[in-house]
Amino acid sequence: MKLNITLPKFLRIGLFPAILIVLMAIAAVVALIRYTYGIGPISDLSNSYPWGFWISFDLFTGVAIGSGAFVMAAVVYIFELKEFKPLLRPSVLTGFLGYIMVVIALLVDLGHPERIWYMMIHWNHTSVLLEIGICVMSYLTVLAIEFAPVILENYPKLHNIAHLIHKFIMPFVILGVVLSTLHQSSLGSLLLIQPAKLHPLWWTPILPVMFFTSAISVGLSMIIFESSMSSRYFQRGLEIHLLEKLAKALPIALGVYLVLKFGELAVAGELGLLFTSGTMSVLFWAEILIGVIFPIVWFSFKTNRVNPNRLLTGAVVTLLGLILNRFNVSWFAVKHPDPLYYLPTFMSNVKYVPTLPEVAVSIGIFSAGIMAFGLLAKYFPVFEDEHPAAAHAGD
Amino acid sequence: MAEIKHHAYLFDATRCIDCRACMVACSVENNIPMDKTRIWVAGIGIKGEYPELERGTMVYHCMHCDHPDCMSACPVGAYTKAEDGPVTYNPDVCIGCRYCMNACPFGVPHFDYDKGIIDGAFIDKCTFCPQRIYNGEEPACVQTCPTDALEYGDREELIAKAHARIAAHPDRYIDHVYGEKENGGTSYLIISHIPFSELGLPTLPETPVNEVSEKVMEMTIPFALSWGAVLSGVAAGVHMYNKNKEEKEGEAKPEKKAEVEK
Repeated sequence: MKLNITLPKFLRIGLFPAILIVLMAIAAVVALIRYTYGIGPISDLSNSYPWGFWISFDLFTGVAIGSGAFVMAAVVYIFELKEFKPLLRPSVLTGFLGYIMVVIALLVDLGHPERIWYMMIHWNHTSVLLEIGICVMSYLTVLAIEFAPVILENYPKLHNIAHLIHKFIMPFVILGVVLSTLHQSSLGSLLLIQPAKLHPLWWTPILPVMFFTSAISVGLSMIIFESSMSSRYFQRGLEIHLLEKLAKALPIALGVYLVLKFGELAVAGELGLLFTSGTMSVLFWAEILIGVIFPIVWFSFKTNRVNPNRLLTGAVVTLLGLILNRFNVSWFAVKHPDPLYYLPTFMSNVKYVPTLPEVAVSIGIFSAGIMAFGLLAKYFPVFEDEHPAAAHAGD
Repeated sequence: MAEIKHHAYLFDATRCIDCRACMVACSVENNIPMDKTRIWVAGIGIKGEYPELERGTMVYHCMHCDHPDCMSACPVGAYTKAEDGPVTYNPDVCIGCRYCMNACPFGVPHFDYDKGIIDGAFIDKCTFCPQRIYNGEEPACVQTCPTDALEYGDREELIAKAHARIAAHPDRYIDHVYGEKENGGTSYLIISHIPFSELGLPTLPETPVNEVSEKVMEMTIPFALSWGAVLSGVAAGVHMYNKNKEEKEGEAKPEKKAEVEK
């Protein structure tokens, strides 16, 4: 679809990219207001709710959906399952862009965005957030190295560098998986310091293990999701025989997660809370039913794994359920100080409802990510080894 | 005043008349704008029916924990715990992540939500008036309190004093000194006639809330190294296995050809 206005050729873009650009522009304006007047005027964040939508969506969800990159890197390079190679590059790109989006969002959320690099020089070794910061920065570098050949291969003069990276890729892959394990789990550790605030259905000393286990499932679902979407948008073949195998692994990964979840509650003697915590019980069951039990059942049937539509549906539902978990842990289940008599104005805002500008920032950053993915996929060989015949066979 | 080894406050909720002079004194002493404050008065308001009225207020500011969670959480180490009590914040390294606000079980640190990047948005909280206590003076809030609801002194002495006061008036007080053990001990001690939870104080164990996360952080480096070693081992093992398999297949093929020729 083309815009109906007569524009110079370089401005003639499709409707979808045009919408993305508008969304990005809105986010940029909001960010400008935020940098000029502060976080307060555009958001509902307060001293009672220092972290809100940006942290739950951009940081917690963003990092989780970037996990496809390390899952695929481990599958292809460490376990040498070379058949999955066609899925590697798009996953690494999704991860790379996802993490850049996380950093951009943090640049809006941080009170002193210009000091983000202080994390490299001022170390407080007891801080979980420092570990996440260092890991994300290092992992972004690793992802850039893993993805660089895609760009370099396009320029004959740079083939040597691409070749060099290919030759020494293993240390980077292992470093990447270690860094991912660390920061995926550390996002859970971030909440360990809130035993008095986070609801006991979610607070457990093994939060890091929970986060890592569920991140693997998020990664697998994300690969299915992004392959399905890009095959639709770019009208390219779908590697359904590969995705089917990934979908087969999902019930196993989620099964482990489910056992951990309920096992922990049983050991802690908190099973009763499953039915007695009101809204919290409902939220807990929602994330378990949508993000864990449904996909275990759904992906156990081969008919659901080999049908592209059903495969995509299953992946989307799984993602929604697991993302609800991230929202629960970082927002919905966190209890902040109660409103008390005579609290001065700065403590008065004890309800938190994300404002439109807040959401607009996240949407704008997300749009930029989709745009970047589209452009890179269009001009560089992101989808390698793509033989029409093989793709056809996959159908 | 006797020498103070560990600076501390003692707050007696039965004495507080909710005049909020401490808030004013603090803002004047530390030059805090009118719409902000480092100290606030929380409470239950007036409860019950006349003439059985009950009232409870509490002066709330930084607890100056012995194991501060803000300090444990801060990625860039903007917080410092002085050996003699005060927990202080250094705006020069703060990146504005607000993790300290999440970490603090008391909700003490607060943030400049109305400042852009030019003005600089910082965390603010009680400093324990170092400019006064290290010059032999009481903190501003304590000095101004008209009913001695707020007192200042050495932590050990104040704990003894608090217990003595509870013992002298067991009918008036709940038999507990909040902050003596809570969260690993705080330098702000509270005695009260109404339950502490009604004053807005969280129920906390004797171990600091940062205990688990600090233990996990200690395991990070050893875990990373061993996980890296395991992955390298697996990668090498898989590679060897696949190579062997390929070689065997390679050997097997010519034999088959030979058989066919026969």
